Amino acid sequence: MRHFNGRSSNLAGIAAAVLLSATGFKLTIPPESSNATSILQPDNGEEGDICLVMPVLASLQAALPPIESPAGGDVVPVRSVEDPYPSLHSIAVDTEHDQVVMTDSNRGGILFYDRTSGNKSSLTTDPSWRIRGPATGMMFVAGVALDPTRREVFTVDNDIGDRMMVFPYDVDGNVRPKRVLSVPHGAWGIALNQQRDEIAISIEHPNSIVVYGRAATRLDAPKRVIHGPHAGLEDPHGIVFDVPANEILVANHGNWAPLDREEAGEGENSIPGRFDSPSITSYPGLAEGDVRPMRTLQGTQTQLNWPMGMSLDSIHDEIAVANYGDNSILIFHRTDNGNVAPVRLLRGNRTGILGPMGVAFDTKNDELWVANYRDHSAVVFSRTASGNASPKRTIRDAPPGSPAVGFGNPGAIAYDTKREELLVPN
Amino acid sequence: MHGIVYDQVNDEIIVPIHLAGAVVVFRGDAHGEEAPIRKIQGPRTRILRPETVAVDDVHNEIFVGEDGGKDVLVFPRDADGDVAPLRTIRGPKTQLDEIRSVAVDPIRNLVVVSSRSARWPTGVFIFNRTDDGDVVPRAVIAGPHTGISRIRQVAVDPQQGKIFVAAKNNRDSYQFDSAAPSPWNPDQPGFIGVWDIMDSGDIPPKGLIKGPASGLVWPAGVALNFKDREIYTIDSVRNGMFTYFMPELFRK
Repeated sequence: MRHFNGRSSNLAGIAAAVLLSATGFKLTIPPESSNATSILQPDNGEEGDICLVMPVLASLQAALPPIESPAGGDVVPVRSVEDPYPSLHSIAVDTEHDQVVMTDSNRGGILFYDRTSGNKSSLTTDPSWRIRGPATGMMFVAGVALDPTRREVFTVDNDIGDRMMVFPYDVDGNVRPKRVLSVPHGAWGIALNQQRDEIAISIEHPNSIVVYGRAATRLDAPKRVIHGPHAGLEDPHGIVFDVPANEILVANHGNWAPLDREEAGEGENSIPGRFDSPSITSYPGLAEGDVRPMRTLQGTQTQLNWPMGMSLDSIHDEIAVANYGDNSILIFHRTDNGNVAPVRLLRGNRTGILGPMGVAFDTKNDELWVANYRDHSAVVFSRTASGNASPKRTIRDAPPGSPAVGFGNPGAIAYDTKREELLVPN
Repeated sequence: MHGIVYDQVNDEIIVPIHLAGAVVVFRGDAHGEEAPIRKIQGPRTRILRPETVAVDDVHNEIFVGEDGGKDVLVFPRDADGDVAPLRTIRGPKTQLDEIRSVAVDPIRNLVVVSSRSARWPTGVFIFNRTDDGDVVPRAVIAGPHTGISRIRQVAVDPQQGKIFVAAKNNRDSYQFDSAAPSPWNPDQPGFIGVWDIMDSGDIPPKGLIKGPASGLVWPAGVALNFKDREIYTIDSVRNGMFTYFMPELFRK
């Protein structure tokens, strides 16, 4: 027997009784003065079956006005923790138009700055334009790529949204994207190959790289997919096209798990999840399917630790990696392979690097840009800076000392009763 | 990571690692790059893509909910390594699909599971704690009157027998042919809803936090502080954490 929650007026009760008469159920409605609830039961007086009662309740409640308001309502929180400032995620530089573009994963936006922005003061720097708001469709935005020729900016939503959005330069505010492309769940990095007119996107959850035509839109299918047990893709994040060498380079966190029972297999020979070392894997530009990487940069000498965004300097044959795990930028030779140390690195208290998520070479002006996720700042270095070097200039999007809360599409919370602390996984 | 639980009896933090098919256990005061004290991972575990965890500190068990595996796996609380589950709730009779959260009521011996599905109901599924195999849930709280269209974390108050639900209610997909194609619609917010653990069917919540003053847009997580009678939520679109003092929803 299930109770109908709430008191009914006599008129509604009669209507409900009529409604129910054809179902073989009856509704017992106590008098208004009673504190008892209405009771739904079969006409034969025996206890009702739950499976039968459920659809009847649905019909009944559709017919009745709500009688009893639930406790609570539009309750004002007594405390809240939120970051009112952008969290800088990925970064791209357009030296042709002197633009620097960064994604804001905290508030779901794109920020455009003049390339020469920033200084050594503690003042904040306003962006030239910012794209943000419900109409943009941007939520938990991640990677960014620029097309200087067509003056377009590409970004992808990570772990929610499952799409790529393209906006023109020079737009501001809550604007609709110029193009939207549905992509697999867990998109993180995006790279543009202007020579081949293609875009490549790293997809965390299925451990894949998907390659589309540059102008792909709506539900267009990818031209190629790199995926499989031999591909070495393990929670891929940063991605770059090496156009001169016709290669794709990918930064992997090192997590791998089968997507479903079919991929896992059955019984003793089933393939379990695993934690591997982080890596940088390289593929031919036209690679497809379960292709082995041409090179794998991996091991303790590499110092890779949660590698995020990457950037390629084709002129000096170097790649830069935003090494989130130890607040550093690692520089490798483009063709490094195996357990190889970086040719130089940026790390230390003077660098201002904290939780680096994005990195971008500017070879025209001989600079290196870093977007800090755990600080409200982006820092600019000489291209060849190394060690505990100070940045040439800093862009701040919040007053110094403003904490970066660091929430990123949080999906759960727990309360530690011993320490009276709240635990939030990202 | 979209799940976490604190084991207050053993002072441990338990976390599912979705992308590595593992459940890891840390000391309660772990910080920084600290190694877990235990790890459940391997072919015998049957863990595929764990989304959520719960701990039953009365019966010393860990419950692991999987969205990819569409199942609930139960392990000894101190399991470590490639350990087979004690029990598994999986199969078409369960109607479980993309499992988002698990909670345990050790007093009534019930397991509460939130599941999202295009094929089965999206809502709260209640099983006996010791259920094993392809079993029919004792009760399902789902339907239009519940207000739940997308669901995430559930929390249980076993003393009162109440279920607290984070109904995220977000849309993901871009509506290409719609006049308002963006799925980000702040006019259709989610809520925190409260049901009795013996509820069943398409019934509205008995307690609710919802509306513009609440600050909630897409609440994804919910946790309870019985001592101070507070409800904690985490919002995935606002990237914010909110605390509500709600004595009316707790036993005095």
